[in-house]
Amino acid sequence: MTWPVCCYTVADENGKTGDGGEMSPADQTALADAASRVLDNLGELEPQLVNAGIFDEARNPVALTDDSGGWSSQAVELLEALKAGSGDEVLDSAHVASEEGEVFVVEESGLSLVAVTGRFVLASLTSYDMRMALRDVARSGVRNTTGGAENEGSGDA
Amino acid sequence: MLKPHRVVLDKMSSYTDEAAAFMRRRRHHRREFVRIRFQSGAESDLPSGTPESDRIAEAARRLIEFG
Repeated sequence: MTWPVCCYTVADENGKTGDGGEMSPADQTALADAASRVLDNLGELEPQLVNAGIFDEARNPVALTDDSGGWSSQAVELLEALKAGSGDEVLDSAHVASEEGEVFVVEESGLSLVAVTGRFVLASLTSYDMRMALRDVARSGVRNTTGGAENEGSGDA
Repeated sequence: MLKPHRVVLDKMSSYTDEAAAFMRRRRHHRREFVRIRFQSGAESDLPSGTPESDRIAEAARRLIEFG
């Protein structure tokens, strides 16, 4: 008796890359382009978005909406504080609210997206949009390195 | 039938209840918080006053000030 065997290959969108591999300059440029495009889309989706940036695993900025006044270094400080505050757990996302505004952080596929918004935005919607944005950047990176055979979904965040 | 002064009292207490609820909601909305979700699916509201929470809140506050 024979049994039909099915095999699926599923991309691990949530897993960190963690391989520490060096990207070629072309890949870095493609990633930065995709990240910039995604941040533009995010700005259109979130009218209350004040500033946002995407960082790689080494906390280097991949794309920023505006880096006036050392915003990126301050965002890295926040990422480090969140990592320290997570203890033994692995950070997935964070939402910090103050009287002047709100900060959202989402980590996905080895990338971190930090966004500052106005007060009283819809938190779940903002986090969802940010996660989709990071997946879009990650997909663009995969598409660039594999020749565009996979994940030909919507290009929008 | 309610006496006239009871109607006035009921109206007044209704207004004060509304005002108190508004103030409660306003305080709740203005409350600062640090909420973290982990990849394990767990979620944590870091209590304010702890070193970790204060460091995160301070970093976020500076980030917001940068704009």
